[in-house]
Amino acid sequence: MMPLALDILLACILLLVFVVDLLLPAEDKRGIAVVACAGALITLAASFVLDVQGTAFGGAFVNDAVALYLKRVFLAAGALGVLIGMDHADRFFPRRQGEYHLLVLSSLLGMTLLASARELIFIVVSFELMSMPLYVLAAMRKSERSAEAALKLYLVGAVSSVVTLYGLSLLFAAAGTTMLSGVTAAAKAGNPMVVPGLVITLAGLGFKIGVVPFHMWVPDTYEGAPTPFVAFLSVAPKAAGFAALIRIFIEALPGQKATWAPAVIVMCVITMVVGNVLAIPQTSVKRLLAYSGIGQMGTMLLGIGLVTPDGLGMLLFYLVAYLFTNMGAFAVASVIEDASGSDHLDAFKGLSRRNPGLAMAMLLFLLSLGGIPFVAGFWAKVGVFVAAYRAGYVWIVVLGAVLAVVSVFYYMRVARSIYMERPVAGTEGRVPMALSMKAAVTVACVGVVGVGLYPAPFVETALAAARALMG
Amino acid sequence: MVPVSSYMLLAAGMFSMGLYGVLTRKNVLGILLSVELMANAVNVNLVAIGRSLGDGRGEAFALFAIALTVAEVVVGLAIVIFLHRSRRSIDVDQAASMHG
Repeated sequence: MMPLALDILLACILLLVFVVDLLLPAEDKRGIAVVACAGALITLAASFVLDVQGTAFGGAFVNDAVALYLKRVFLAAGALGVLIGMDHADRFFPRRQGEYHLLVLSSLLGMTLLASARELIFIVVSFELMSMPLYVLAAMRKSERSAEAALKLYLVGAVSSVVTLYGLSLLFAAAGTTMLSGVTAAAKAGNPMVVPGLVITLAGLGFKIGVVPFHMWVPDTYEGAPTPFVAFLSVAPKAAGFAALIRIFIEALPGQKATWAPAVIVMCVITMVVGNVLAIPQTSVKRLLAYSGIGQMGTMLLGIGLVTPDGLGMLLFYLVAYLFTNMGAFAVASVIEDASGSDHLDAFKGLSRRNPGLAMAMLLFLLSLGGIPFVAGFWAKVGVFVAAYRAGYVWIVVLGAVLAVVSVFYYMRVARSIYMERPVAGTEGRVPMALSMKAAVTVACVGVVGVGLYPAPFVETALAAARALMG
Repeated sequence: MVPVSSYMLLAAGMFSMGLYGVLTRKNVLGILLSVELMANAVNVNLVAIGRSLGDGRGEAFALFAIALTVAEVVVGLAIVIFLHRSRRSIDVDQAASMHG
């Protein structure tokens, strides 16, 4: 099979969604979400059935084990994201829901291409294909907060794109070719443009994944943008940012790690501390999840900074655990927000009496985010910190353990509202929940528990992919 | 012939000016113009390098970069119009209803 098969399939589904949107009557467009979700799932299934390994375009496009692994993460996140957004889109912008799902899929296409890109122009184009739909998606709700969220996401995204582009232009100057293999050769030859180029590229990508000191946009965007979109935004584009970091830094510039790895380690330590500390005083659950997400990004970034196959493999595994956990948590937040119009901690009070199943699911996601044993997040955290210990960073392991305790404290504040407190007057009734949302939360729960009980297949695939990349 | 390094210095200057504008401007349109300046600094870089290489790669890269910047600005202006409609102002200091 040709290596591009998955991406072409996804592009065809994108066009199909576009056509279906035109064919359906304006009053009832719910079918589009089904097509989009099924399309992403079919592509995901195809990634297991078809043999798509290999390179195309003279090595500019590669489907190696890491690319395939990341593509599966993106496609799963995309399918789950469409499922979470299905009901919300139909209720709040029914006539434009076709656009919503179309934009999610086009962003997804950008991500799957980015995971395979090994050439500078290819990286830039697929990165922008991923980013631009996100700006529009953040502005889908016709509210002032949605506009503000979109503006912040856009300004940060546009500036970070340009900064990344400038960094890549310096790498291009050093290499004299746009292939990443040329950049590797230039770095080996000691070209002086490589170091400024990689530092500026790192800053640009840091903005994208929202690590400190480039994190200020994250909470505001998460608070204002439509919550089901935030579920997607908090996972898939971050994973894509890591894909770009893996390609440019780990694959192309491992020889320069003395220059960039310390910078990444410093960024990740500061991010872990700032994210977890700022999450403590939050009273909005979406903001709390935003800051905790910043902390999680710091932990994941450790996987890049270690520059070992263990570290990279554990980062890949972390993405799977984070996908189910974080998307599940935002899905629950979305249900509550759509029912009560607020994502304040008060809106979660007494959820265990109003909807025991939903309360249980949220507890599961919070435990997984906090890294409590035998759910997905636990193995992810343990894996990354064991990799850090093996690489000799004992102090980071100690710091990570302390911050894990801090994080359990604020996650349990949410759990306390859900289980220990009485519902606020006027919100005692059962929380209404669409069938698609029930399905999405169930899938996320199954994912969290499944990966928690049987982490071995995921870990082994991730480690094998990482070893294949790093040799 | 002007050496490539001069062009790259010019680009670095343009980029820094753009970055300064992004950090200091209060008006969204001002920020967008500054981003545009940064994007064009990248293009100067790419075309200068492409010219010294002589195989057209740099120019091709620049063409892609220009197309992407245009698309990005279109989305940005649409968001600015949306923001303006929802509150009649495009000052970023006023786009701060969310804190915490």
